[in-house]
Amino acid sequence: MRNEVRSLRAGRDLSQQQLGEAMGVSRQTINSIEKERYTPSLPLAIALARYFDRPVEEIFHVDH
Amino acid sequence: MSTTDRLVRTRWWLPAVSLLLGAIMFAAFAIGGETADGAQSFAVMAALAALFFFGSRRSETLGGLGGPARDERWEMIDLRATALAGMVLIAVVIGAFLYEIASGEDGSPYSQLGAIAGVAYVLAIAAGRLRS
Repeated sequence: MRNEVRSLRAGRDLSQQQLGEAMGVSRQTINSIEKERYTPSLPLAIALARYFDRPVEEIFHVDH
Repeated sequence: MSTTDRLVRTRWWLPAVSLLLGAIMFAAFAIGGETADGAQSFAVMAALAALFFFGSRRSETLGGLGGPARDERWEMIDLRATALAGMVLIAVVIGAFLYEIASGEDGSPYSQLGAIAGVAYVLAIAAGRLRS
């Protein structure tokens, strides 16, 4: 799923490892989300949205 | 639901299970009077345990197999891998069953294994439907 995780993470000067630790997932999972190979669960998507203080739909985009 | 509560296994989990399985295999071989074969089996399982323990920090695959690197993405990978392994196993069981009956045998034990797999699948489907 297309998303803004990489740009938001970079905007906060965070590494994938740091964001992964904050979300309770591995660095590789953050990398997979950023590369749009893995669609996160709803709880993780909401956790990311809360972390970046954005609505979920501003971070994750459903392509039609 | 927290995403952190899924990181519950430590890097000791799979090595410990491997060693325990090796010990059980050794005991089973020893009871059957094949202590040397049991020692070989235990050595193989101990080597696997060491691979999982020491390799889990260097390899995401070994870390995921071993437990400490597991999160929701790994749960999905594990679920798909388990389903694929089950499908392969069932296909082999069906193939072996067909080979046995074509050879004039009664199909045992593959007919029973296939029946167990079928019943387990139907029960899992029913349980999954009730829980969701």
